[in-house]
Amino acid sequence: MAGSFWRRILGAWRCFSPAETRPLADSGLAAPPAGSDDARLELPWRHSWEHLPKRTAGFGFTHRDYRSARRRAEEVARLTLGDDLWRRLGRDGHLDLPSRRYLGVTYRLRVGLRIEVLTAPGVALPWRHPFLCINPTYPLPELEFFAQLYLYVRDNEDEVIRVAAPQPWDQPLGRTF
Amino acid sequence: MGRIIVANRRGHQVVDWNTTDTEEARQTIQEAERILDEARAAGCAISKKVDGVHVLDHGRFDPAAEEYQIIAPIAGG
Repeated sequence: MAGSFWRRILGAWRCFSPAETRPLADSGLAAPPAGSDDARLELPWRHSWEHLPKRTAGFGFTHRDYRSARRRAEEVARLTLGDDLWRRLGRDGHLDLPSRRYLGVTYRLRVGLRIEVLTAPGVALPWRHPFLCINPTYPLPELEFFAQLYLYVRDNEDEVIRVAAPQPWDQPLGRTF
Repeated sequence: MGRIIVANRRGHQVVDWNTTDTEEARQTIQEAERILDEARAAGCAISKKVDGVHVLDHGRFDPAAEEYQIIAPIAGG
C-alpha cells in the first residue's frame, strides 16, 4: 500500500540527472539548474495565472522543469511536515486532522486531491457535500501545496472554512500539477 | 543566517539573509523583510519554523528566525 502510494506520487520524479540533484551549499535544498530560467527568483503573487490550463505550470515549462519542480517540492514538503508526518503520509497515503471548529469532524488531506470531510457516527456534515475543493491562487507542485494546506487546516481552519467549495465528488485539484 | 523558502511553480527558491554586523548583511535583512511584507500584502500566509516545526505566523519579521516560508493564498473551486 505505502510502496504503491510512493511509486504513484514520486515515481515519475526520480528520473533526473545527477547534475539536477546538486544541493545548495548551506540550505540543504536543491538549487535551480544554473543558467536556466529558474535561476531567477520568481515571486508568484506578482503575476496573474488565470490564463493557465488546469494542472499546468505555464507555457514553456518542459518535462525536465516539471521533474525538477516536483523534486524540489518533495524536499520542502518533507521539511514542512517533519519526518513523523512524512512517514505517516507515505504509510497511509493521507493525513487526517481533526476539526477545531466542528466536533466529530475530521479533514482527510490527500496529495493533489480535494479535502475529504469525515464525520463520526451521528455527526452531521457541516457542508452539503463531503469534498472541499481548495486550490492555491498560483500554480504549485501538488506535494508542496499539500504541505501548505496542512498548515492552513491545522493553524487557520477559519480560512479553510471561508474559502472551501464543497463538491459531491472527488477530483484532482486544478491549480496544482 | 536565515532563509525564506519561496514556494512557486519551480518547487521553491530560497532567499537568504545574514545577521553579521555589516552593511551588506543589513541589506539582505531589509530585502528579506521586504519580500515577506509584500507577500503578506498580496494575501499570502507566512509560516515560521519554531522549535523545528513550521507554524503559520502573524508576527513581524524576525531576523533571528531560522526559516520562513511563503504560503500561497487559497481559493475555493
